[in-house]
Amino acid sequence: MNSIAIKATLISIALSATLFGLVTTASAAHIHMQVVGPAELSIGHPADVRAVLRSAGDDLPVAGATVTFYVTASFDGANGLVELGKAVTGQDGVAVLSYVPRSAGEHEIRVEYLTPGATEPEVATWSHPASGADQLYRSTAGIHVPGLNVWVIIAVVSTVWLILFSVALRVIAIARAGDDADIAAGHSSPRPAGAVSSSTGAGHQP
Amino acid sequence: MEEVGTRRARLEQTALAPVLKTSRRYYVWVAFLIAVIAWGVYAYSVQLREGLVVTGMRDRISWGLYITTFVFFIGISHAGTLISAILRVTQAKWRTPVTRMAEFITVVALICGAMFVLVDLGRPDRAFNVVLHGRWQSPIIWDLVSITTYLTASIVYLGLPMVPDLALFRDRLVGRGPAWRVWVYRVGAVGWQGGASQKRSLGAAIGVMMILIIPIAVSVHTVVSWIFAMTLRAPWDSTIFGAFFVAGAIYSGIAMLIIVMAVLRKVYHLEEYITEKHFVYLGFMLAAFSLIMMYGNISEYVTAGYKLKEGEEVHLRQLFLNQFAGFFWYYFVGGLVLPGLIILFPWTRNIAGIVVAAGLAVVAMWVERYFIVVAGLRVPLMPYEPSNYAPTWVELSVVAAGFALFALLITIFVKIFPIIAVWEVAEDLELAEASPADGHIALEGAMQPAGGSQ
Repeated sequence: MNSIAIKATLISIALSATLFGLVTTASAAHIHMQVVGPAELSIGHPADVRAVLRSAGDDLPVAGATVTFYVTASFDGANGLVELGKAVTGQDGVAVLSYVPRSAGEHEIRVEYLTPGATEPEVATWSHPASGADQLYRSTAGIHVPGLNVWVIIAVVSTVWLILFSVALRVIAIARAGDDADIAAGHSSPRPAGAVSSSTGAGHQP
Repeated sequence: MEEVGTRRARLEQTALAPVLKTSRRYYVWVAFLIAVIAWGVYAYSVQLREGLVVTGMRDRISWGLYITTFVFFIGISHAGTLISAILRVTQAKWRTPVTRMAEFITVVALICGAMFVLVDLGRPDRAFNVVLHGRWQSPIIWDLVSITTYLTASIVYLGLPMVPDLALFRDRLVGRGPAWRVWVYRVGAVGWQGGASQKRSLGAAIGVMMILIIPIAVSVHTVVSWIFAMTLRAPWDSTIFGAFFVAGAIYSGIAMLIIVMAVLRKVYHLEEYITEKHFVYLGFMLAAFSLIMMYGNISEYVTAGYKLKEGEEVHLRQLFLNQFAGFFWYYFVGGLVLPGLIILFPWTRNIAGIVVAAGLAVVAMWVERYFIVVAGLRVPLMPYEPSNYAPTWVELSVVAAGFALFALLITIFVKIFPIIAVWEVAEDLELAEASPADGHIALEGAMQPAGGSQ
């Protein structure tokens, strides 16, 4: 009798948990997420970017949700998302991340929230142009000496190859002079060994 | 006194002999070399299939025998072009019988050396990315450009003084050899007839090349050294790496030239042209560079050892006392001090002694490159235990194949092309006949190859 009661209790708990999970997932799948940024965005100044999460049905704040912030970035021809960090929503359903823009132009912030049990995250984006100098940070690698750059290497290498080319022209001149000599001698095919007294350098024959 | 005409005829016969006569030993030697190369190709196919995991290289010691052998061959390549060009510029009269061999060595060593860079790549199909995506700021690009330029210039510098000799072969071997070979001579001779304008053009071209080739050759080994020196590794932090590598390259180049000279002299009976004098003179150059190398080593290690930064301490300890001590002390004592002594003592200063000294030096210079590469990478960048490197059978097989290829290409080259610069040696004979007391060859002799005696 007792074992039947225990089994019935466990089955009830399992069914309840399953139903509860389904309800949570369903409600989480209908979360409204919005990204709110400051009215002004300027290079080098921190700005709070907020992700606001509210349940879709009753429009209540979603507390304790971890959201991930990304910025769309481009580097040397490669485009992608750079993770800025994660933040957790408070009782008011708001997660805040401090963001410092480092370059001028349009900044697109993307926030993702993966609801429990879901495979695709909820996504919201916000974009705003940043004002200020061209770029906050510049690479400090190397010492820039005016006039000393890769063009010096290119110039040196080009000069060397030009000289090699001039040598190639000399070889062509040798070939052309040989053709002229052949025409003058009235033949163009290789001569027998006995007829080449001038072709092998010092002009002596064995 | 023997007539110049007779001596010239004998000279031509000597130069033509390797082309006309082939012994059974030659075929056996070639078959042996091809077998070694075939085994190396098989080993490389295993590496291509399985990846670099079949080698002893790992993430911490990522260069091993392949890069060691690459640097070694690039050093050897200085044998020909630089030595030949320096001797030509300084009008060293005795150089003429040896320059052609030296120039052969340069071209062959460069081909073999460049091959090892590709062998070192796990994905050689990506090698072309260096050209497509390389940056001018990278020493790898400098290396690619300088080696490509050097190979091109070396082939030109080998080919130019060979033009009159190829014309000789073209004319002498009509109907006496396979058609393809005569075709090679005809193309290589570029229609050489020995006319005045041809001599002027050839003289001018050689004059330009013998000057140009020296800075190119120096730049190549300097840039190879910069691949190490510009990497953040304590053992490679050296301002003299460029000069040190160039000196080492010339040292190993001279040593290899002496060995190749001795072998070819013996095999092709060149005793009349390559005499003990040539060995002694090259031996003196070898001894001089052994002193330069000793000075460079002492200067390098004393300054680093006196300051003894953390990485240096690990490096010098492994070099002098621990893992690499055997390599290092063989290199310094057996590869620098001993060859110098052998050449400096009169009773060992003969062909056999100088060849032994050269052999010690060649082995030592390979060993030096090995511990520069491997010991340099062994010093930890972070507080972890130093890792170890041991080459596998794949690496040993591929390296053996590389050396076999070097020997095979030299063997084939001397079988097709004139082994000695006939016109230059002939010119020497004539000048010696005309003015026996004159100890110098006129620059015009070098600049106007075919016209000096006319």
